[in-house]
Amino acid sequence: MIATIIGSALLILGAFNIFSAAVGLLRLPDLYTRTSAIGTAAGLGVAFMILGVVVVDFTWLNLLKGVLAIVAQLVTSAVGSFALARSGYLTGSSPAAITVPDELADDAVALGGASVPLGDTVPTEDTAALDAGPTDNRANA
Amino acid sequence: MIPVSVAIIVGVLLVAAVALAVVRIVRGPTPGDTAVAGDLIFFAFVGLVAVLALLFGIVAALDIILIATVLGFLSVLSLARLLQGGRR
Repeated sequence: MIATIIGSALLILGAFNIFSAAVGLLRLPDLYTRTSAIGTAAGLGVAFMILGVVVVDFTWLNLLKGVLAIVAQLVTSAVGSFALARSGYLTGSSPAAITVPDELADDAVALGGASVPLGDTVPTEDTAALDAGPTDNRANA
Repeated sequence: MIPVSVAIIVGVLLVAAVALAVVRIVRGPTPGDTAVAGDLIFFAFVGLVAVLALLFGIVAALDIILIATVLGFLSVLSLARLLQGGRR
């Protein structure tokens, strides 16, 4: 009985983590902050939900499978978010204008991503709210 | 087994997360935003599978989740590769 209560609390906590990641996906200004929200909150949310399943339905075999799944989730969500954000940069997702250091600019020029963007780089209503001045460092690339 | 009320709370949270991600896919200005929203939909799907398996007493829940977390990583990497058009 106590295991059911603890496991239910862990399941609700994990689902709330994923929901808050979705809210961040909708409200944050550019691709990179959105990727950060997904990579941290959703990885942690899935880990909490797996832990909840293990606590509710405990056997030693389930514990082994759950620990394997949690380790795989925590390692791969960070790497996947990094790869997704990097490819988004290289294909022309413009960062918000408040982004000051731009260390991937050389890679983008080498791939032709910054000068010949594949995607739509027109500022949307999301990024235009933060584009306060002519300090967009992509104009130099 | 978990109470039905817990399953309803978790299900409503996860379905709302999927709905918000679909809004981002429709509005998303670049292909990268679409890929990130698809990533979140995959995570919410894994959570829904976990809750439904617990609710109906399916014993293969953790096997499905383990395979889904490992294969989801491959899907994210291939989405990133697809965005770059096959270049690195």
